[in-house]
Amino acid sequence: MTPSSSARFALVALLALVVQVGVLDQIVVLGAHPDVMIVLAASAGLVLGAERGATLGFFLGLVADLVLPSPYGLSALAYVFIAFGAGLLRQLPGDRDTRGVQAAACVAVSALGTVLYALLGGLIGQSGMLSGQLVYVTLVVTLGSVVLAVPSLATMRWVQRATERGEATYPVPSGGSAAR
Amino acid sequence: MATATRRASQRLTLLILVLASITVLTLDYHGEARKVIDSARNDVRDVLSPIQRGISAALHPVGDVFAGAFHYGALVTENQRLQQQLGALQARLSEDEATQQSARRVLELSGLDFVQNVPTTPAEVISQPTSNFVYTLEIDRGSSSGIGDRMPVVAGRGLVGVVVDAGRTTAEVQLVTDHASSVAVSYGSGSSTGSAIAQGQGIREPLAVEEVSGPTPRVGEILSTSSTDGGAFPAGIPLGAVSSVRTSDGGLSTSVFARPLVDLTSLQYVSVLEWLPAP
Repeated sequence: MTPSSSARFALVALLALVVQVGVLDQIVVLGAHPDVMIVLAASAGLVLGAERGATLGFFLGLVADLVLPSPYGLSALAYVFIAFGAGLLRQLPGDRDTRGVQAAACVAVSALGTVLYALLGGLIGQSGMLSGQLVYVTLVVTLGSVVLAVPSLATMRWVQRATERGEATYPVPSGGSAAR
Repeated sequence: MATATRRASQRLTLLILVLASITVLTLDYHGEARKVIDSARNDVRDVLSPIQRGISAALHPVGDVFAGAFHYGALVTENQRLQQQLGALQARLSEDEATQQSARRVLELSGLDFVQNVPTTPAEVISQPTSNFVYTLEIDRGSSSGIGDRMPVVAGRGLVGVVVDAGRTTAEVQLVTDHASSVAVSYGSGSSTGSAIAQGQGIREPLAVEEVSGPTPRVGEILSTSSTDGGAFPAGIPLGAVSSVRTSDGGLSTSVFARPLVDLTSLQYVSVLEWLPAP
């Protein structure tokens, strides 16, 4: 990550938090609301790959946990797995980089990620997360991610462009080392 | 070779991040570190609260106006000019209705008989539950208004929950429907009184009435807080009405469920009781 891409990511994470708390938390359907943070974690993996995606997922989780009443670090742990899993999807053979496929994958990973989040919560003693409400939560988050996937992927591409620009500034000589 | 190296690097990164996450989770359960984390969370809430207040204030009337305009839509096709005029009138009417509704809700808070002599602080709900799994609300009053942890929160018809984390200008209220909420209740009158624990089961689920001692409560019976669990709440605050009583195993076991008296999904104003349980 370059300083420029780190700054872009920090801006994205903070704006996403404000959107989540200010707008999305107020849209309650079936007792649940859409979750832009989980969609961003999935997007990070799909756009930036497993390693970078998981790293960004970790920090996104730490930011999300600042406003959640659940144990601090639970979202970070879940988002690491979500972004890493999304990054592995990207490595599968075939044409995975078309935007439509990426958006569909983002929706699917967000849905699975919601279940994973509840399972991890259950593992650390938050047994209430594994109630029947999980079905409605997954449904609402999935429907929300249908709307949020495209802007979320576009935002992560914007972060990625800064990374690529930074790497292009310091080209690695053929046969040499990237250490400066 | 390159693929193997990349996979090893990926696995190492994943391991480091998982360990880092588990470390953070562990710190959250540790006394001193938890204070720092709670303090950071409160600071973030305080910073975000003006935005939440603004959006909350904007969304209530706009939602009603939008609903009013949508309702009127069937007549609109006949005359566009008439639609605009009536739409504007409808918007004003909806705004007035929203204002009157808010006023009614505030007035309800001034006539809380069950509060008795306990001083109260009115507060506005500025955020619905931020988590899809933990049911808490955020109110626009905090420690600077005398709000403290473990203070009961009520609305028009009864108990809403309890303050679990009071920041400087905002506070987090755990709803009675949260899975971690359990409230000692009593019911009945005269010689046929009983006691039980009302356990939260989620925002859309009824409260599970467990550990019933005394006669089985009847459907429709009102459950009120009791002080038998050491006094987590003042006695006598209505909590819920028994909604179903199911007997199974040939009559050997009975499951009782109750619906909260307060509609917890559309709260706008609440009162915090300036009352703390005995230490």
